[in-house]
Amino acid sequence: MLSLLVFLPVAGALLCCALPAKHARSVNVAFSGLALLISIAVWQQMDLSAGGYQLQQQAVWIEAVGINYHVGIDGVGLALVLLTTFVSFVSAIASWNIDKLQKGYHMLFLMLLTGMLGVFVALDLFLFYVFWEIMLLPMYFLIGIWGGPRRHYAAIKFFLYTLFGSVLLLAAVILVVLKCDTWSIPQITALARQALEAGDAGGILGSVGLSLAAFIAMFIGFAVKIPSFPFHTWLPDAHVEAPTPISMILAGILLKMGGYGLIRIAYPFFPQAAIDSGLVITIISVIAIVYGAFVAMAQTDFKRLIAYSSVSHMGFVTLGLAAGTERGINGAMYMMLAHGTISAMLFMIVGVIYDRAHHRDIDRFGGLAWVMPKYFVLASLAFFASLGLPGMSGFVAEITTFVGAFDGPYRSWAIAALVGLVITAAYYLITLQKVYLGSTPDAYKDPVKYPDASKRELAVLVPLIAVTIYMGIIPSTVMDMYKGFIQTDLVPVLKAALETAGKAMG
Amino acid sequence: MDFSPIYPAVLLTLGILGVILADLFTKGNRPYVGVGIAMAALVAAGVSALGLQPSDQLVLGVLKVDKFAVVFAVFCCATGAISIFATMRGEAFRRPGGEFLTLVLAAVLGMMLLAMSVDLIMLYLAFELVSIPSYVLVCMRRADPKANEAGVKYVLFGAVSSGVMLYGLSMLVGLSGSTSLEGLGAAIHNGAAVQPMFLVACVMVFAGFAFKISAVPFHFWAPDVYAGAPASVGGFLAVASKAAGFAALVRVVGATVTEPVAGAADPLAELLPGGNPMLTIMAVAAVFTMTFGNLAALRQTEIKRLLAWSSIAHAGYLLLALSVWSDRAIAAMMLYLVAYLFMNLAGFLLAGIMIRELGTGDIGKWRGIGRKHVFLGVAFAVVMFSLTGLPPFFGFIAKLQVFYAVFDQGYFWLGIIGLVNGVISLYYYARVLAMMYLSDAEEGEPEPSVRLALPDRMLCAFLVAPLIVFGIVLWSGIVRWSEAVVPAIFAGGG
Repeated sequence: MLSLLVFLPVAGALLCCALPAKHARSVNVAFSGLALLISIAVWQQMDLSAGGYQLQQQAVWIEAVGINYHVGIDGVGLALVLLTTFVSFVSAIASWNIDKLQKGYHMLFLMLLTGMLGVFVALDLFLFYVFWEIMLLPMYFLIGIWGGPRRHYAAIKFFLYTLFGSVLLLAAVILVVLKCDTWSIPQITALARQALEAGDAGGILGSVGLSLAAFIAMFIGFAVKIPSFPFHTWLPDAHVEAPTPISMILAGILLKMGGYGLIRIAYPFFPQAAIDSGLVITIISVIAIVYGAFVAMAQTDFKRLIAYSSVSHMGFVTLGLAAGTERGINGAMYMMLAHGTISAMLFMIVGVIYDRAHHRDIDRFGGLAWVMPKYFVLASLAFFASLGLPGMSGFVAEITTFVGAFDGPYRSWAIAALVGLVITAAYYLITLQKVYLGSTPDAYKDPVKYPDASKRELAVLVPLIAVTIYMGIIPSTVMDMYKGFIQTDLVPVLKAALETAGKAMG
Repeated sequence: MDFSPIYPAVLLTLGILGVILADLFTKGNRPYVGVGIAMAALVAAGVSALGLQPSDQLVLGVLKVDKFAVVFAVFCCATGAISIFATMRGEAFRRPGGEFLTLVLAAVLGMMLLAMSVDLIMLYLAFELVSIPSYVLVCMRRADPKANEAGVKYVLFGAVSSGVMLYGLSMLVGLSGSTSLEGLGAAIHNGAAVQPMFLVACVMVFAGFAFKISAVPFHFWAPDVYAGAPASVGGFLAVASKAAGFAALVRVVGATVTEPVAGAADPLAELLPGGNPMLTIMAVAAVFTMTFGNLAALRQTEIKRLLAWSSIAHAGYLLLALSVWSDRAIAAMMLYLVAYLFMNLAGFLLAGIMIRELGTGDIGKWRGIGRKHVFLGVAFAVVMFSLTGLPPFFGFIAKLQVFYAVFDQGYFWLGIIGLVNGVISLYYYARVLAMMYLSDAEEGEPEPSVRLALPDRMLCAFLVAPLIVFGIVLWSGIVRWSEAVVPAIFAGGG
């Protein structure tokens, strides 16, 4: 079932290849939709109360070095797989009006989908790494061919940054595998837990220094994807140059892989090192939240503003994780899911206006609310969701993370992060006022050039906003998916690590 | 005396004579007769090498035809055959003359002997047998001033470095009192290694090898030579010549390292492999070679120069594997060489085809080609990503094995430097693709167009397909194979 889900898009890509170019977009929408349906079926088949990895499939792959093809899914993976298929499906709809080299675009889009799904279900480190890297190739071309004027620069910058992160990850993976003699993620996690319960501070690598080095390497590897300060500088460029649907995928899914990697691999493998570096990660997160918000406020490019708001919001993910408390990690996870839908929506909002005006300069807009009322309502809902209005998913995520961070060891730093929230509210409201309210400049009054949101655009935005509001009102549906993993697998380990650290200090 | 182990070499020699005679009797009117004979000789030599029973028995007292040698013999024959084929499809001459074929066969013969030799004098002779035809091959296009310049540079560098190497070898003979590697190993085992002379000799011998494998600081000839020579010859030198150099290096280092080498005790503190001066020298050279090769490649806009610098960088990765000196590392090096054969020959072949069709190797003129010519574009993409070392291609598997071995021995920092070098290399490999895919053809300029004949496609597919197949499914087999070849080296080393 999972293999079908992962490799179905490849079949779609091949079908794209075989059919004439004009059908490519239909194939893309059909296969993304099919992937969404299968992922929902996976959800139905799973027994979430049982916990652990389910629907596992395993086969020997590279026997000489003990690598298996091993996929499986648990609550954390399920939540992110659903996010992936959902955001990809709406992005596929948003890709409808791509007119340059359609065949290539939709093929790469589907291959990207395979890579992303693969990351979330891989239970073998080698498989994980291969999927992790495979995503880069289509992404490079998608930004580089279909992007804006500075697409070369943005594409190669994205590629170089993420590859740099990846090789550090690879270094850490090699160290772990050499020591543990297995590539299996569940097995290594179990070994790490055993080491911790035996009171061995060195963890799976048998040495405190080495564990810390490997954790730092992994953290940087994942932090580049998140992206955490100071590894975030590729993000604004990549986002600004990428075509709208690709920005949606980039913000909605790709950034989540960093967080997923931390939750699934870095933290469980090196709980001791993770706890030891908690303060540093907290500080980095707070800087990302506050600095990202300030930089966002200074932008005049609409898309850049959204890009920096992503940096700011993704800071909450690492903040919650660094706290190491149940609520903190819960909030981090929820933040990833909430941000996934909200940021995809925001990029679509920018895309809609860019398609009409062909520029994104906030200062040149004004009074669009009177010209495009439906679009205005959706845009303001998206803005409010992102700034954390109660009743929408962003609020639940932020509040849970904050409470979690308060419970944790770095309370005063968590308070500092509150500044970021105020600034976030400020820049969204200022933008809302500048772009949508006030008097409409003559240039935008032409209803032929500036029609209200089309059916296709509504088909993208409405499902996203619906999910955002649903997740804001009934968060338990989603939280119950991954609660089990956090409660029984991650938090006890981190608690134990914290105790060991306390003993070492005392 | 059983001469069967050197049948491959004999077959090649017969091939050389056959090509010369054919050229003489057809008066150059039927070039394909010569090509046919040369190909037949290479295939026959390769097949007979495969059929050999590897053994540790010495032949004529100076050659050892063990598994390791057999692998290299097949390797060099294959490279030779592919290069001849690629030359016919490349930019230089469609109909290689008898002299070209003779030189390629002679060089392959030299490489084969180089990988077999376990005697310092034999080693040096084989070394020269590889070098001299290579000098001529580089300046085959006599009318091209660039080719002539490249040839002269190559000769001068080659002469100096082999002179230095010979001096170093003479010191080793002086230390051990014997020209055989076995004798050398015994002498070192008995304490000869503590003399300062040994260190000097190691440095000098390494200089000779560094020239052959184009390691920093003996790499200066490579970019000019590869750029001046036809692309296929560049590929031949970059792959076969380098591989033979590595094979001989493994033999010599194997003789000087008599004790098993321990890994680093503390992975976070120890920088370089110690225990033997040869290993330390190689590790330092590896770091500089990959870093310098990659940094210099960043600025290249001509495809052959770019590939030349990239091949220098790859020599660095290979040296890195060799310098940590474990079974696993040597196996990784063998695996890397096989991957390198496909990637690099494919790279040079594609470069040759592009230059043939477009008349320029300047990648700035290749705008939009990849989109228009899907086959060419995909082939280039696979080769470039494989050279970078991205999954799911063969290049990644090879790199993974190398770094696995380096980390296994505990040289954390060496591994990190190597991995980060992979990131640097992405920039220039991706730029080739950026030109081919990301850029639109400039306005006003005629759209570049490329015609690919069936043989072009077949040869490309033959070289590119393994990069994907070995990268995804078959690599278990090839890892096992590379591990199986290794013990032969240690048995001979000491």
